[in-house]
Amino acid sequence: MSIATEVITRVLLVEDDPGDALLTTELLGEAAHPFAVRSASKLSEALEHLHGGVECVLLDLGLPDATGLDALDQILTAAPGVAVIVLTGRADHDLALAAVARGAQDYLRKGQLDTELLSRSVRYAVERKRSEDAARRLLANELLAAESARLERGLLARPMLDTSDLAAATRYRSGGGSLLLGGDFYDAIELADGSVRIIIGDVAGHGADEAAIGVALRIAWRGLVLAGLPAEAVFTSLQAVLDAERPHEAMFATACDATIAPDRRSVVLRVAGHPPPLLIADEVRTVAVREPGPPLGVGADGGWDARAITLPARWSLLFYTDGIIEGRSIDGANGRLGIPGLVRAVPALASRARDLGELLDELLALAEQCNGGPVADDIALFLISAR
Amino acid sequence: MDELFQVKVREQAGASVVSAEGEVDVSTAPALRQRLYELPDSAKVVVDLSEVTFLDSTGLGVLVAALKRVRESDAGGDLRLVVTRPQVSKVLEVTGLSTVFSVFPSLDEALA
Repeated sequence: MSIATEVITRVLLVEDDPGDALLTTELLGEAAHPFAVRSASKLSEALEHLHGGVECVLLDLGLPDATGLDALDQILTAAPGVAVIVLTGRADHDLALAAVARGAQDYLRKGQLDTELLSRSVRYAVERKRSEDAARRLLANELLAAESARLERGLLARPMLDTSDLAAATRYRSGGGSLLLGGDFYDAIELADGSVRIIIGDVAGHGADEAAIGVALRIAWRGLVLAGLPAEAVFTSLQAVLDAERPHEAMFATACDATIAPDRRSVVLRVAGHPPPLLIADEVRTVAVREPGPPLGVGADGGWDARAITLPARWSLLFYTDGIIEGRSIDGANGRLGIPGLVRAVPALASRARDLGELLDELLALAEQCNGGPVADDIALFLISAR
Repeated sequence: MDELFQVKVREQAGASVVSAEGEVDVSTAPALRQRLYELPDSAKVVVDLSEVTFLDSTGLGVLVAALKRVRESDAGGDLRLVVTRPQVSKVLEVTGLSTVFSVFPSLDEALA
């Protein structure tokens, strides 16, 4: 005998006829499998006893305070996870079948009950209900995961980098450790002249709408860049795409667009309300942008001035979304990691990381550790490095 | 969380004054959004952030949404911010939003 069969099955018997109730309870008491049976003579009483571990309800359809299938509906609404077996007195086949169609696991005719049939029916009903629920939950999770994976592929492109003098690594962590994505996105493309274009962005908010707009912006950016639109015109066009595609007027996005020169010794940055990248070289500093332009979609037109920065022979640029700096920190300014906290943390992590991916993993771990758990906002990281 | 954040609304000098206190982040921004949504169609809205110690991107999103609604309302009004703390002015500068909002160093000047 397996251990599982020894576990008590909790049954709630809802039956207004005291004789029938006694008989059914006795039949279950004689079974080899242990049942704990509780009785209710009215629907209102049954609803009170539904919780507290009841796995199966044996329900007589002829109750004083409910007619027809009403009792079944109310029980399934109150306790969707419970298995219900309908007991019919008459040879009321149609009603019994209707009950099964409405969510009952099984039906039994009262005059034909015996211990073996009753015991087996209850245990099968409970198991069947359990596996149905598990399958439903699994399906819901699979759908959510598939949806997230689809959006994630759209948000986080594989960088189109074919060059041997640059290496890149990317990481994405969805906010709150949940399956749901926000609207962080990034992309990188190497152009025919050898220059490399990079974008990182963040659609304000968190959810499928924001993620969908993030995908739209990333693909629009890639299209605009591949079509050869000059870098200074890209934000104006991206803003037009955002204005046209967004589900509501309040949605806006921040972005940072970078162009790395073919000789890898300079980068031109355009910033729309987005934190500028960190330059990791002999020292670590943020690439200051004196007057960053406003985010896309807040009603401003233009102001995204370019800023050129000279790069040393060996460098890395860390592009990020604000999730990494907004997490709480015990020793950071104002209790948050902040850009200064990030700048302070990078040198030690960079010196011990064996490759770019490991540095990003360390940064994610740091943000999470400072925050004392998963960070609420999404985090996207894009690290590119001159070899 | 709740004791760290408060938001109050009052009428003063013909303007709706929304004063927030504490940290505006993912967990508290919805409360601010709610209060801003409930405002009457007013020509003049002042959001006093002088007691706000932290403002993240979610909070900015709430302010931007309110700004748009006020500007595009029939009253054709404006939403002004009162900012005194560097933690908040820094965020507005980094995000380039200091040029989008009308930012004032005191409530009196915002109401003038």
